[in-house]
Formats: sequence, C-alpha cells, structure tokens
Amino acid sequence: MFERFTTAARDVVISAQHEREEFGHPLVGTEHLLLGMLNEGSGGAYAVLRRAGLTRIRVREDVQKALRQGPLGDADAEALKAIGIDLDEVRAKVEETFGPGALHLPPVPRRGFFQKEGRFSPRAKKVLELSLREAIRLHHGYIGPEHILLGLIREGEGLAAKILVGQGINLNELRDQAEAELKTARDVS
Amino acid sequence: MATAASSADPRVGLRAALALRRLADSLEALQVVNARRLGWSWQEIADALEVTKQAVHKKHAPRMRED
Repeated sequence: MFERFTTAARDVVISAQHEREEFGHPLVGTEHLLLGMLNEGSGGAYAVLRRAGLTRIRVREDVQKALRQGPLGDADAEALKAIGIDLDEVRAKVEETFGPGALHLPPVPRRGFFQKEGRFSPRAKKVLELSLREAIRLHHGYIGPEHILLGLIREGEGLAAKILVGQGINLNELRDQAEAELKTARDVS
Repeated sequence: MATAASSADPRVGLRAALALRRLADSLEALQVVNARRLGWSWQEIADALEVTKQAVHKKHAPRMRED
C-alpha cells in the first residue's frame, strides 16, 4: 500500500516504527505515526504541527501519561497506598526488569489480525488507508506526510487524535492548515 | 488514621480490593508472557499459579498467538 508514498511519507512510517521500538510497544499505533510526523524531515506535516504548538517531547509525555491511565491508574495507586502498597515502587521494580510500561495489562488482540510485532494497529492501518483516500479526494497522485495527517484527523478516534485535542488543538482547523500547506507546496512546485 | 484494609467504609475497602486485583492481573499477564518466552509449558505456568492448565491457557493464550 506504500507505492504512492513520497519519500517524506515513507520516512514518517519508518520513524513511527522507531518510536514504537523505543517505547517497546508491540504495534504501531496512531500515536507513533503522529510522532513520526514530528520529525523535521517530514516537511509539510511537521510545519503544520509545529505551528499548532506541538512538539515531539510533549507528545511523548502524553503517550506515557495515557499508558499510565490504563487499567492501573491514579485512583488505583491511591487505593493501594491506603493498604500499604506503593504502586510507583512496584512499577519501578517491574520496569527495572521488563522495561517502561511493562506493568500494563495489554489488550487481548482480536483473533487473526495485526498481532505480529511491528504491524500496524487497526486504527493506524485505517489512518494509512484514509491518507490514500484523502489524496484521491484532493486529486493528488501521491501521498505525502500531510495526507497522513489528514487521514489521522479523519480517523479521529485514535490516541493521536486524543492527544491533539488534549493539547487544545481544533482538528477542523488543523485539517484546513494541512490542506493549505498542500496547496502552497503545489503552487510553488 | 484508619487504613483501607481495616476501613469500615465499604467503598474504601472495596476500591482497594479492586486495585489489588488489577495489580495482580497486570503482574500475572506480564509474568506469563515472560514464562512463555523462556519456554515454560502451559502446565508449568498453571502449576506455579495453582490453577488448571485450561484456565491459564484460556486466560492468556489469546495474548500471544504468535508464540
């Protein structure tokens, strides 16, 4: 499905894979794609996201935070403290051996799809499919990082979209920005 | 200061029990994955957890169908 991807768009995907590896997550999710776009090399999408006030560090923090709000959140930590268990300490011990985010109940994967390490999560796959659809809608014969961003906005329900909204970004405005960026790039070239 | 374990307020005590179960589930999931990676059989894992092989397999196998 990557035939029409520009070099910059491919770099977003490659960079997303690296992010997944660094987090030690099994699948490439929308959040990793978003981090992939926050690479300077990813051209238009990078410019749009930076103008919206987003940084890689901030998104990484939000991803970590979202992980901690899993099945073992702050309310659990408080309840455990009351019976003499320090969840932070337990987590630290576990992470010493198994890496960050290890003490987190992983979701049971749906049978037969996507569970192989390094594959795309269903939502991330949807984002990539939608990026193609966005390119078709705009009559573009290629898929750039901006189209991936448009796909991510259209999908709208992944962790990446939640992080964007949590950062106070209006997704409709971001879409307009991304489309404007594409238009400028085409007018110049 | 009363602790949750001895608290007369069921809300506090039950919430602690829930959190403890979540912690136990997380730890179990993590350890089962690790044991499988190290080549443990489902029977060995079941013995260590003091449950039946069927129970542990049903609970954890969907997480690691790639193994």
